[in-house]
Amino acid sequence: MPETILVVDLSSGRMRREEIPPGLLAAYLGGRGLGVRLLRGRHTLSPFDPGMPVVFAVGPLCGTPAPTSARLSVVSRSPLTGTVYDCSSGGRFAWRLRASGLLAIRVEGRSPRPVVLAVTSAGEELLPADGLWGKNVGETVRALPDRGSVAAIGPAGENGVLFASVMMGEGNAVGRGGLGAVLGRKNLKAVTVDGDLTTRVADPRRFNRARADVLRLFRASPVIFGELGISEYGTPALVDLMRQRRMAPTENFRRTVFEDSSAYSGPAIRAAYGAKKDGCYGCPIRCKKSAADGRRLPEYETVSHFGALNGIADLHAIVRSNDACNELGMDTISAAATLSAWGEARGRFPSADEIAPLLHDIAHRRGDGDLLAEGSRRVAEAMGKPELSMSVKSLELPAYDPRGAYGMALAYATSNRGGCHLRAYPISHEILRKPVASDRFSFSGKARMIKIAEDTNAAVDSLVACKFAFFGASLEEYAELLAGTTGERHTPQSLKEIGERIWLTERFYNTRNGFTRADDDLPERFFTEAGSSGEGIDVPPIDRARFGEELTKYYRIRGLRDDGSFPDDGFLEGLP
Amino acid sequence: MVPGRVGIAARDDVTLSEGAPDLSRLAADVLSRLSCLGVVAASPSLPFAEFLLRRANADADAIIPLDTETRTFLHDIPIVRREALAGDPARAIATLLSNRKGVIAEGVGIVATGPVTLEQAYIHYSSVFHAAFVKYLLDALQEGFVLPAEAGAFRAFRETLLPPSTAEGLSFRAGPLDDPEEVLSEIRAVGRFTVLRGLVDSFFGNISYRVGETIFISQTAASLDDLAGCIDPVPMDNRSTTGITASSELLAHRRIYEATGARAVLHGHPKFAVAMSMPCDVKDCPVKDCWKDCTRVRMLGDTPIVAGEIGAGGLAVRVPPVIGTPGKAIVYGHGVFAIGRTGFEEAFRSMVDVENRCREEYFRRLDARMRRTPSFGCGDFSGRMKRRAQSKSE
Repeated sequence: MPETILVVDLSSGRMRREEIPPGLLAAYLGGRGLGVRLLRGRHTLSPFDPGMPVVFAVGPLCGTPAPTSARLSVVSRSPLTGTVYDCSSGGRFAWRLRASGLLAIRVEGRSPRPVVLAVTSAGEELLPADGLWGKNVGETVRALPDRGSVAAIGPAGENGVLFASVMMGEGNAVGRGGLGAVLGRKNLKAVTVDGDLTTRVADPRRFNRARADVLRLFRASPVIFGELGISEYGTPALVDLMRQRRMAPTENFRRTVFEDSSAYSGPAIRAAYGAKKDGCYGCPIRCKKSAADGRRLPEYETVSHFGALNGIADLHAIVRSNDACNELGMDTISAAATLSAWGEARGRFPSADEIAPLLHDIAHRRGDGDLLAEGSRRVAEAMGKPELSMSVKSLELPAYDPRGAYGMALAYATSNRGGCHLRAYPISHEILRKPVASDRFSFSGKARMIKIAEDTNAAVDSLVACKFAFFGASLEEYAELLAGTTGERHTPQSLKEIGERIWLTERFYNTRNGFTRADDDLPERFFTEAGSSGEGIDVPPIDRARFGEELTKYYRIRGLRDDGSFPDDGFLEGLP
Repeated sequence: MVPGRVGIAARDDVTLSEGAPDLSRLAADVLSRLSCLGVVAASPSLPFAEFLLRRANADADAIIPLDTETRTFLHDIPIVRREALAGDPARAIATLLSNRKGVIAEGVGIVATGPVTLEQAYIHYSSVFHAAFVKYLLDALQEGFVLPAEAGAFRAFRETLLPPSTAEGLSFRAGPLDDPEEVLSEIRAVGRFTVLRGLVDSFFGNISYRVGETIFISQTAASLDDLAGCIDPVPMDNRSTTGITASSELLAHRRIYEATGARAVLHGHPKFAVAMSMPCDVKDCPVKDCWKDCTRVRMLGDTPIVAGEIGAGGLAVRVPPVIGTPGKAIVYGHGVFAIGRTGFEEAFRSMVDVENRCREEYFRRLDARMRRTPSFGCGDFSGRMKRRAQSKSE
């Protein structure tokens, strides 16, 4: 059965459903891959150019009972980084988008007035949203009852905060990269999706067997279903581990141990808030945690960056910061890291009581918030201390100090969307020992490992499945799920080849927008300052020469020149 | 018996290979066709995998052992025959490895991949070897020898390659132990002993010791013979999640401590115990997935056998109630748990005892099998073959 995309021109208000050429899906799967492909030809436009598309795309497994696959990717060009940018999210939105009969929505143009795009299986319409403009995310979601699932921006997106998020009504976030600001510039306040269509599974027997294999592997994984794992404690289960491994970024990465981190550990959050299991549609892991009043509790990155990175041990203040970001529609990682860089630059990190008001100022671009809304790189440059932005390609680094995991160091640098831990996710093997352990203080072999993982995760983001599933399962089982769904042959190898195509396409777009080897680098601090050694663990600065050597190896493995450029200017022309 | 041979290949920006020239060349050729970091190609001295392939029906393209290792991680093991290897063997093998962790290639042996590390290729090789070994033991028990070379190879295996396991000559600390440094040292030593004495391959097991309200336990995916830096201290009350990297059997260990008051727990996958946990004499049993759904407590001598999945599955529920009195238990198709009331010596000796008794029982049954036609009850315990004729959806 042909797959369908909804194309929306906000400038004219015209909308149409189109068949997606099957060849594109065979070559790019869906999700991130499809979104990246659909940007071709527009990839050099400014992120705020009306012609720059924003693509919401689910994957071929969405709508089936494939574990962790009720997800979508949102793809455009980031105003924060200038790179091509995709961001994945769960919740119920993706599943309902699929149930409306669509694999993707491509939004272009700029509406002359604020609107909501409302999609159902019966059709789509643009609703006036003047009354919603200025509303927080929660208010917006509550104002759209009976519309299914809602993806909305808050004031941060409306006001062009460069790290504004798109929030799902269920509390999930298309968090990073500022895609909320792209929607805000298009005057698109929200997208709602609802439907009652089902997704066909071509070979139910094969699918069910693969699903059983996946669930068995989940149960065998201590990280997923172990009694100390993410199903029990959510991602804050990592707080104690990162403390013990001495790689928890503290005070803008000046140190790597925050002695008071147990104040916001997984067990501490459970004790303080009676954290309940919550999760994306149909997900057996349920790693999200909610308070008794239904509020989503913060993730690991959020507690660590509003905690250690700003020197704050007040759990309730951290939860308030998370609440504020979710309501205002801002990425918690970039918000906390920008405040931290600003704090170091001015000589004082913000106190627990100052954070929430500052977040509101950022979202509304008031006072210091107007500068802070530009993200840490621009803040640090404006303050004459560019070296204090702990970012790669302007994307603030998350809560894994690269001095404690050299694969992570390389992966931050090579990430096509900037300082992101999820592109290659070497924390999986360098810290969590999945699927096997690797030496975290060695660069040996890491170039190849990162390349393979980037390709793998590009495929995972295009299926679209959750990275956490791969703490237990592998592409072997997900290729079977895909084969069961489509009735066509897929293998881990074929999926990785698709992932490689997607990754290289992204890199090519970035090179066309001026990115070079110089952008594949870490902040100088990591090469000149040691982390917090102790307890038998030495955390020296990263050896720059060795880092550069491994980066060169990485380019060669990728088939690039040693300066990171493509040997073939016509690279895209050879792709489907 | 022919000595084992091995070739390995690993790839960074260049490909490196070493070992037996033909196997290392094959490993490198296979690796060049796959997106992974390492490949191991080995002809084990024990030709059980080769025998399995040659015993399989001509239309079979995979074997499906029913041990836990296969059910959980391998799913099935593709086989590729000599005629398919003619011309470009690396291509034929790589095609199969594009979808599985390891294959059995006729005349070659076992070839396995490491998508993330070269060590992972060794782990996958070891998993395939283990699964094939156990399946072959059971097939021989159920069907006897089929190929002309089997009887001789099996006799050589039994007489020259299979000395009984023993704890003699090993030195254990007398428990109870309270000093964490002493505990860590003892765990490392006992982990090495289990591999040294042939009870387990490096990656197939876990080990822990309780001191007060802390369990010191080996990490997930750790090598039992190389546990330095791979032991997590985990508080009994879960006030810290540092142990998220602990063994997937942490819950089983914790519940064993709670149920028995033991101080030491040792878990491994000795092959004869794994094999002998699977045959069952119950006829017309309604349970089909014995390995996870069987609720009976069977006895092999004085050792209870229970079923249950690993990790968050059922064995953490079913082992603790039965292990206290005998001090040992076997999990169906999986392995042995053994406890020490004060130190590891009791646990280690129990595991040795279980494996030796299972070995004796295996050969007693095999000898009887050779003398008369066997009669087994339910017990589709020796696995299946996947046939080419089956649809892709099978």
